[in-house]
Amino acid sequence: MTMKILLADENSQRAGALSEILKADSSLEVIRLEGYESLISAVKAHVPDIVLVDICRADRDGLDSVRALSSSGLERPVALFVDEDDEALMEDAFAAGVCSYNVMDTPPRDVKPLLRSAIALYRRFQETAAELKAARQVLSDRETVDTAKKIFMRNERCSEAEAYRWFRRRAMQQARKLVDVATDYLRVHTKDDAS
Amino acid sequence: MSSAIRIGLLRLADSAPLIIARNLGIFEKHGLDAELIVSPSWANIADGLVWNGLDAALVFPPLAIMTALGHRGREIGLHRGIPISRGGNTVVLRGQHLPPFLGTDDVTKHRNFESWRTGLSRRPKLAVVHLYSTHFLILMDFLKSLHAHPEQDVEIVIMPPDRMIDALAAAEIDGFCAGPPWGTEADLHGLGSIVAGSANIHTGHLEKTLVTTQRWGQSAPALTQALQAAIGEATRFCMNPSNSAEIVRQLSSPLANGGLALPREATEKIMPDQHNLNAMQFDFSASDVDLSISWMIRAMQAQGWLTPANMKRLYELGWLTPAPIS
Repeated sequence: MTMKILLADENSQRAGALSEILKADSSLEVIRLEGYESLISAVKAHVPDIVLVDICRADRDGLDSVRALSSSGLERPVALFVDEDDEALMEDAFAAGVCSYNVMDTPPRDVKPLLRSAIALYRRFQETAAELKAARQVLSDRETVDTAKKIFMRNERCSEAEAYRWFRRRAMQQARKLVDVATDYLRVHTKDDAS
Repeated sequence: MSSAIRIGLLRLADSAPLIIARNLGIFEKHGLDAELIVSPSWANIADGLVWNGLDAALVFPPLAIMTALGHRGREIGLHRGIPISRGGNTVVLRGQHLPPFLGTDDVTKHRNFESWRTGLSRRPKLAVVHLYSTHFLILMDFLKSLHAHPEQDVEIVIMPPDRMIDALAAAEIDGFCAGPPWGTEADLHGLGSIVAGSANIHTGHLEKTLVTTQRWGQSAPALTQALQAAIGEATRFCMNPSNSAEIVRQLSSPLANGGLALPREATEKIMPDQHNLNAMQFDFSASDVDLSISWMIRAMQAQGWLTPANMKRLYELGWLTPAPIS
């Protein structure tokens, strides 16, 4: 018997990758939520057995409450999948940013392998995102220091080398990072321009 | 001993004491290494507390209670926490210059609501931020005061507070009950009108409390006091009217600069102010808290969310003082 899985993930690259992995199992039918569709209406329309959800989706909370809200119009109750005996799996899932909902009244099959695949994939995406962010951070740190130096040079009518020495000295005196000192300087000296 | 604490919060103006405590170095001064995690929705706050993604969260009592009782998987012994804010929620309905829904006789109120309701082409969709929220309970009591039926006359939908403005503009919803500043923002943009607020329905009710997980409390007992001291200092700062401009500036700063990217004008309008009923308040005494929790528990019982065994557990966790609830 096939099991129908709804993937609700606005990151289409990630949803595509996960869908490919799951489709390798011929007993699974995988449906991807279209960008504009709400989670509840998709569950209503497709009647899946399992819903794998990006935890950041804003309409996830609605799915949590369908059992209590008779107005949701869903015939079958939906519940967050929880395995109390496998706390590590649960913690891993939320740390990776994915969770699973069961649509009840269908013969339950083990959800754990599906969730594990999703966790592994979400983690890979998380790592890539973290690397990108770190790279961007380095770039913006450098920009911050450069901007602060330029304003300092203008205010103090000094050379770039002198400006740099001033920030470095201050950072050493305060035992802080150069970029933090530069950020402070910018905050104080650009307040009027900003507002 | 680690002084790290991960605190979950949403993009709301009543998160101000946490933003102030971090941005002004108040956590640091009290020896805490606090990381504020701005979460996309209340389900993420609850799951974070249960599954070790958060050590603490700024949350309304109904969700903290349901989470403590194991509604999201495993029971976690959340206590009542540090009370942070009172009131500040508003009920918004689509349209401008609406007839009054308060302060008039029952027949007129009901008639006014019916005329608003039938003016829409569908059963009105009213959004709340979570099922287990003060907002849902306040909206239920508001509808009751209008003699409106919460299931037949309206449709309740759930969405995070910072989605409400877009949803109202896109006609996904016809009204909502949410925390500050979102009701005021809807009003300012002419998307809807504030027709009631916390102050009209449950004056001075406890809105946000800072709960900490047992896991964190046990690993660092001395830090609980440090947390209380830091929060006390930050809430005093937030209650001082001369700090309002600074608080608004911080709250309306972009997320990347340590703010919450809240709309500036709406936020200005709901800063603590004794002349504005819908303004936030951050001052507390212990007796206030008792008074302002008991109606919620009664309402939660009436919704059928709490079993007698749950009630016993709530006494043990200190959510209720031993006085019996009538």
